[in-house]
Amino acid sequence: MSGALRAGLLLATAVLGTGLARARLVALDAPSSGSKDLLYLPNGKYLRAASLGQAPLAADLVYFWAIQFYSDYGRADRFRFTEHVFGSVIPELDPRFIDPYWLGALILTTEGGDLEGGLRLLDLGAEKNPREWVFPFLAGWECDHAKEYDRAAAYFDRAARIPDAPAALVRLVAGMRARGGNLREAIAKWEEVLTDPRGDDASHAIAERQVRTLTVRADLQDLEAAVLTFRERRGAPPRRLDELVHAGILTRLPLDPDGKPYRYDPRTGAVTSDASRVLGS
Amino acid sequence: MRAIAAVALNTFREAIRDRVLYLILAVALAVVGGSRFVAMLTVGSEVKIVKDLGLAAVSIFGLLIAVFVGVSLVSKEIERRTVFTLLAQPVARWQFIAGKYAGLLLVLAANVVLVGGAVLAAVALMGESPLALVPAIVLILVELSVVAAFSVLFSSFTNPILAAVGTVAVYVAGHLSWSFDLLRKRVATAAARTLCDVLHAVLPNLDRLDVKADAVHGVAIPAGTFAAAAAYGAFYAIAVVVLACIVFERREFA
Repeated sequence: MSGALRAGLLLATAVLGTGLARARLVALDAPSSGSKDLLYLPNGKYLRAASLGQAPLAADLVYFWAIQFYSDYGRADRFRFTEHVFGSVIPELDPRFIDPYWLGALILTTEGGDLEGGLRLLDLGAEKNPREWVFPFLAGWECDHAKEYDRAAAYFDRAARIPDAPAALVRLVAGMRARGGNLREAIAKWEEVLTDPRGDDASHAIAERQVRTLTVRADLQDLEAAVLTFRERRGAPPRRLDELVHAGILTRLPLDPDGKPYRYDPRTGAVTSDASRVLGS
Repeated sequence: MRAIAAVALNTFREAIRDRVLYLILAVALAVVGGSRFVAMLTVGSEVKIVKDLGLAAVSIFGLLIAVFVGVSLVSKEIERRTVFTLLAQPVARWQFIAGKYAGLLLVLAANVVLVGGAVLAAVALMGESPLALVPAIVLILVELSVVAAFSVLFSSFTNPILAAVGTVAVYVAGHLSWSFDLLRKRVATAAARTLCDVLHAVLPNLDRLDVKADAVHGVAIPAGTFAAAAAYGAFYAIAVVVLACIVFERREFA
């Protein structure tokens, strides 16, 4: 047998052996159990020490891996270590790496249904990066989606107070206050927008319309509540709105944004306003 | 001075003829060039990934050059017996070592300028100012100058394999030297605490020269901190090279 033939046979045997062994390995490969891969993910502190001056690069690599890991929707128990990966390992390596905080929060809130976990990640991001308004801003939207409007307003308010945050954030605070039913606080915030010299004409026009609408809504709410109180005390609704002042329920009767009195129907006890009709509410 | 310059220039010429250097440079440039594609894997700031990968390439491939080119600088001359011809010239032993180190430093500087320049260009092409990265790149060169000094020191008295192991060990220890501070708080005896202090002071505090994270996030490095770090690295490298000169002066050739 010639040398070339022997070498060819040896090569063919090696290639065949490699292929068979690989096929066996693939067959033996157990289906992914989700968190198994994460059990051996070291703590960020240790990874930082082991990275020997390349901690930002190590953070990028863990982030790449996490994106791949959390893109596999077939994994069981995929939310068990999300906070550990995005809120401990990556921030230990590079605390100023902004994207992992919000991506982790998005995974937890949108996919995992864990609002508190998502907010903890965003709060951590804000703590490590106090000049980044994006964290309380995103936390505000997460609370809005969860219909926790007062909490959302508090987050937007925190975002708005950070230097260099967009002036429009105050509008979100006002909007959330209104959604949460705190109409007077919402009006105060819209008045802030109205008097803000940084705002443009469009912003001022929106604020003016909101102040007008919300003032009518808040006044009507107060008047209807006062009528109800009057009815409970006297057993019948007032004949005119000024009876509410005489009865000591209101200190004065409000006027609508056009300076006109609110209209009252003594038969139904309903309070209405021309201004609210103009605004389409 | 002329003798040092002659040895340095010769070392530089010899190094740039080495294929290993070109291989390292090519891979480094490929990493920087490919970082834009790697950045596509991320969700969010792609520029940060390009900066991180780029600075890591400058640092890691610079380290490879400092180790693989540096460790054989002196031993190769001894092995080929060319050192005798050289030392028969009016070149003192310390000048030979200083010249070798200066030549290696030139190679490292050329690498840092080339790969670092590619990183700056890649970042600029993505529409961001790369200027914040410049102090980090300069301090990487300072760090490499310290590592190169150790590779010349080890090369002056041992074979390339041991010299490479020693240099890498110093690099690792240099990046973990901060841990002696932690250890100091946990040991009970005064002698152990003193040992921790001594080791922390003697080993190169390479983490002090690492400002990559700040640079990537656009955090300005205070001029005082930058100057102190650069001076620390430069003086440390000089001290190690002086040590290498002393060792080489005392060395006897068979």
